[in-house]
Amino acid sequence: MFKVGIIGLGHIGMLHMRNCKYIDNVKVVAVADNSKRPLKKAENDGVEHIYNDYHDLFSDSNDIDSVIISLPNFLHFDCIQLALESGLNVFVEKPMANTVEECRKIVKLVEKSGRKLMVGHTMRFYEAIEKMKEEESKGRIGDLEVVTLEAITNGPFTHPAVPKRVPEWWFDPDKAGGGVLLDIGYHLIDLFRLFVGDSNVIFSSLDFKFNLPIEDGAIVILRSSNSSTKGIINLGWYQKLIFPQNNFRCILHGNSGYLSSDDLVPKNMYIHAVKEGTKNFFRKITGKKIRYLYYTYYYEAFYKELVHFFDCIKHDRETEISASEGLKNMEIIEEAYDFFNKNRLAE
Amino acid sequence: MGNVVALANTQNTQDEISNSIFDIMHILNYEPKDPVNTVAIKPNLCYYWNAATGYTTDARVVAGIIDYVRDIFGKNTSIRVVESDATAMRTKHAFTMLGYRKLADEKNVELFNLSKDNIVEKEVTVNGRKINYKIPCSLLETDLFINVPKLKLMRETKITCAMKNIFGCIASPRKVVYHPFLNEAIIGINKILQPHLTIVDGVIASAFFPVKLGLIMASTDVFSIDWISSQIMRYEPSRIEYLRLARKEKVGDPNGITILGEEINSFREIFPERSVGNSNWWWNLQFKLLRLYSSIVGDIIPPILDRI
Repeated sequence: MFKVGIIGLGHIGMLHMRNCKYIDNVKVVAVADNSKRPLKKAENDGVEHIYNDYHDLFSDSNDIDSVIISLPNFLHFDCIQLALESGLNVFVEKPMANTVEECRKIVKLVEKSGRKLMVGHTMRFYEAIEKMKEEESKGRIGDLEVVTLEAITNGPFTHPAVPKRVPEWWFDPDKAGGGVLLDIGYHLIDLFRLFVGDSNVIFSSLDFKFNLPIEDGAIVILRSSNSSTKGIINLGWYQKLIFPQNNFRCILHGNSGYLSSDDLVPKNMYIHAVKEGTKNFFRKITGKKIRYLYYTYYYEAFYKELVHFFDCIKHDRETEISASEGLKNMEIIEEAYDFFNKNRLAE
Repeated sequence: MGNVVALANTQNTQDEISNSIFDIMHILNYEPKDPVNTVAIKPNLCYYWNAATGYTTDARVVAGIIDYVRDIFGKNTSIRVVESDATAMRTKHAFTMLGYRKLADEKNVELFNLSKDNIVEKEVTVNGRKINYKIPCSLLETDLFINVPKLKLMRETKITCAMKNIFGCIASPRKVVYHPFLNEAIIGINKILQPHLTIVDGVIASAFFPVKLGLIMASTDVFSIDWISSQIMRYEPSRIEYLRLARKEKVGDPNGITILGEEINSFREIFPERSVGNSNWWWNLQFKLLRLYSSIVGDIIPPILDRI
């Protein structure tokens, strides 16, 4: 049985806590957050150790072997360091840390500790992306020439069913570490690398429509370090979307065809939810294991990535998105920021 | 003059919007009873979604109102654009993100957070329910209080316009605590705060998606504005609960509302038919069905779909 601590009980931290309940041999035994309300929920859920400061989670004797970190970006490095030094396996939400320098230190800490670290790149676990990767690997579209990736969202300004305040750290560039490029770009750059491998930035343009010191729009062009394949990445925080709307797409353009996530994602999310909910109902009454969260389509990826993480620990395998992968993504992001800033100065 | 509502057509440019505001104020023929030295303009900045989404007041409409105020009451009139924090929104960020800081610099007006104002606590009774409010003093003291709402559909109240924007003046950020009795809360706050003027930004309205309505509407009476807004948004006003309550509580009276300027129908025809998918009962039913499904099957509900 894995005994898990969850650090940070915001929207995603709460989702991880719920998901852990449905993963075999995983039990959340400790949580840490600085807000009373989510801690109360965790307590009601039967979590044994409750902390309002994550430092106490590491210093207390609570028997945990792994932590899930869903803290604000600027706390990732400190928390990862504490976890690895405490001999714990780490699942951390993206970005792994706020700078390349911090990411390099994390890579060394992971090597030294001998523990597992996985960065939460949920998009790799979207069913559409998994299918595209499988087809592309079989040579179905020939040589990959261009990958276009788009994710236009409302980012931290997404409005849940019940309005919640946007955390203040998002408005502070030192704490957030960046805007949409770091937030959503981290995912899409990772996807480009999933298909193409190591890459470099050949163009980057950032937008500031919200008049904030962090960017809310970005267009980045990448080129593979090993081939002529290019990637066009279009990012935005500026679109008012309410779930299940999700303006994400990935298109692989090969010289023998193309694959588009639009063709693989359910056309109507409500019909999909009813269909998959019904299938789960029959699975339930016939004693089969249900497919968790697939009725939401996108949220299933959060469940699958945690299953993968614990599976890697169990079988002592490298996680799909290790610390060194997290570092490579961060290096590209810093390159994109540098490219934009140099050109802005030149202008 | 209490029951006159003036309607004007406008286009989606600063010049057209400003001209429409001058035209509509000419039609309304508004004359304040007392000298005007201080003005508070209250837009609707309920979230960080900009005016093109139909959710928040366009800074260009407020710019047009500032020009009008300076033209009529003199260049030295002290003008504040005011808003209070909301459950999910902080005024300081909304001012930045929605272009109001730029506007304040250009027009030399003050941006003011009503949640930081001196507060007076008031209690009113609506429909037998006692409701307490924290009221920003500056709104009670200003010479001219101009309400600048948006024309929107809203699940909880069906429509929202002038009277709901006054609800946004409550100083306490956690207005969500009023939502279980929202209709009463809207009427209660309108018993305490009465703007001298309401100028509606209907340039882009919201039917849960943006609608280019091209409307500027003005009145001295918030109830009359909402009565007409309801008709523009294709709702029978007597079926809007807070308007029904307003009549019962003698906050407003639809008898004798006079419409000047453009006709209601020219805007009503543009406003889309409402969809069942956006109704409050369907919205709530989905959450109930989801909870039922989860309890039977044992599937997970992500926090984004939590209703409570």
